[in-house]
Amino acid sequence: MKKSIAALAAALLGTLTTHAPAQVKPDETVKIGVLVSYSGIGMLGGIQTDNVIKQFQARFGAAPGGKKIEFVRRDTTGPNPEVARRMAQELITREKVQIIIGPDFTPNVLTLAPMMTEAKVPAIVMGAATQGIVGEKSPYYLRTFFSIPQQVRPLAAWAKKNGLNKTVVVVADYGPGHDAEATFTKTYGDAGGTVLASIRVPMRNLDFSSTMQRIRDAKADAAFVFMPLGEVALQFMKAYAASGLKSTGLKLIATADIADESTLEAAGDSALDVITTGVYAPTHDSAVNKAFVAEHEKMFGRTPRVSLITVAVWDAMQIIYSGLEAQKGARFDPDKFIAHARGRAFESPRGPVSIDAVNGDLIQNVYLRRTEKRDGVMQNIEFDVLKDVPTR
Amino acid sequence: MTVLLTTLFNGISHGVLLFVMAVGLSVTMGMMRFVNLAHVSLCMLGGYALVVAMDHAGLPFLAALPLAFLASAAAAAVLEATLLRHFYAAEELTQVLLTIGVVFMSVSAAAYIWGPSFRPVRVPDWLSGHWDLGPLALERYRLFTLLVGGTLSLALWLGMERTRFGAMLRACVDNRRVAAACGLHTGRLFAVAFAIGGGLAGLGGAMAISLTGVDPNFPFRYLVVVLIVVSLGGMGTITGTLLSALAIGVADVASKYYLPAAGGSIVYLLTIGLMLWRPNGLMGRRSGHA
Repeated sequence: MKKSIAALAAALLGTLTTHAPAQVKPDETVKIGVLVSYSGIGMLGGIQTDNVIKQFQARFGAAPGGKKIEFVRRDTTGPNPEVARRMAQELITREKVQIIIGPDFTPNVLTLAPMMTEAKVPAIVMGAATQGIVGEKSPYYLRTFFSIPQQVRPLAAWAKKNGLNKTVVVVADYGPGHDAEATFTKTYGDAGGTVLASIRVPMRNLDFSSTMQRIRDAKADAAFVFMPLGEVALQFMKAYAASGLKSTGLKLIATADIADESTLEAAGDSALDVITTGVYAPTHDSAVNKAFVAEHEKMFGRTPRVSLITVAVWDAMQIIYSGLEAQKGARFDPDKFIAHARGRAFESPRGPVSIDAVNGDLIQNVYLRRTEKRDGVMQNIEFDVLKDVPTR
Repeated sequence: MTVLLTTLFNGISHGVLLFVMAVGLSVTMGMMRFVNLAHVSLCMLGGYALVVAMDHAGLPFLAALPLAFLASAAAAAVLEATLLRHFYAAEELTQVLLTIGVVFMSVSAAAYIWGPSFRPVRVPDWLSGHWDLGPLALERYRLFTLLVGGTLSLALWLGMERTRFGAMLRACVDNRRVAAACGLHTGRLFAVAFAIGGGLAGLGGAMAISLTGVDPNFPFRYLVVVLIVVSLGGMGTITGTLLSALAIGVADVASKYYLPAAGGSIVYLLTIGLMLWRPNGLMGRRSGHA
């Protein structure tokens, strides 16, 4: 008996002494949830999110602020609030994530707001553009995407300034579409322009010929178009080209979604010479952007193309790393993380940006771009800029 | 008047496209009472076959279309022989769940093989733009769709009504057991009908993607409307499917132009109304079926 106790004591002593802090170990593991679409209409976003995380960690390492980070991925499957809610619950209660990249799509963002507030989990929205859904809904929300009025107001002002006095407004028939319609009508009207007609296009639409006919009927100088990113934007562009409206001299002005790089190739020549307002183009002329795009294309090839969502995830990672660095040596504190992010300005591949101190949204430059073909590839070329556009 | 005629023309061409995609499903549902939701996956396959043939094999558009037909027909034959054949006697719910599972699998497979983005289709120049017929400016591609769809409709109708093979198919639709008792090889007949229907689905899909290109989510975009066309027309009838496809096509285009505030719900209201009036579809018959 005495011998075994002595042996046990010796063993214990041995384990204690061999674990002397000979090397610096990370003080904790911070789990980061990635809540984006890996299937359904937003599946391209999921793929690009994973790529960008890989690219970011290849450059900046995997232990910001001395903390080890671990990513846990869950699929929102698109704008499906019940699925998003279930996945978020899993991430927070079972996986115990402390920060979330996502969710995407406005319905998901709205549904998860109370959960984020209760669980005190900072979430960085990188794929939803409706105004007023970030800080207004939860103090733990930040956004690296854009807010619709940011892109619509400059476009309305530009249109009136450039002699387009009568416009027909064409929007998709859902929340953000109505938002865009209202913002454009107000800004354009205030500037002195006339909105001849307002056309709402159903979201599930296989045939656009009736919409094109109604645009034709309006006999306007320009058509302002807002369609959600992805398949609807593409269908609209193709139908627009097929309808022959281009040859009538009608100017097509739109938010960036219609000329997003993810569908620009498929849109082809039908998308040439379209004026859009957007926050990011891969052709943006800055050293930071050139390095970013070159690195991305080297690691992942030319498809899927670098587009806004790539930069949104990159900026989310920048915020996370900067926040974790600021909490070096201390346990992760979500309130300190949010306080650190709010009001912070930093350099994004899209240009200089800052997080709004009041609502956690992103104040950024909005560029006026024209679609052109460069080296056989369709690109958005910036020709003017409005600096630091507020989000409401 | 110009607008009305153009709207009618656009609606009819849209309807004819839906007919080509849906007719295969109508025949197989009528013949074997087999609910094959994976039909829309065959449409997608035809689209990808067209894109691959044009991009990688460099085939011109007109040559790639028959290839889309053949590829989908082959895939349909394989699917039927390996998987679906074993479920003819199963409950309808089982068939629905099985085939919707196949659709999900096809979506993921397409995303894995060809990527999640849209693959564009380069429509030849002689099919782009408009053809001016007096005051009407008719889109050339829609004329092409109308021509191909119209010819196919005629060919299918003649095939069903005037050939022996068609007579055998119609016998199977009416009453499979009695037809088998009369000595018809119902299994073989069905396999051939399934292949032809699948090929037509692929051809329809290939023609439908000219506007947007093809992507892995194609099946879900067309699933509901194809089912509506088939149910509304009456299962197993060519003319019924053609009528319902035209009705849906015209209603869809016209309602979005003349009643835009309804937000595209007219088609569904029309469907509900017609189904209440004719529960078996416009030209369906309540058959004593095995």
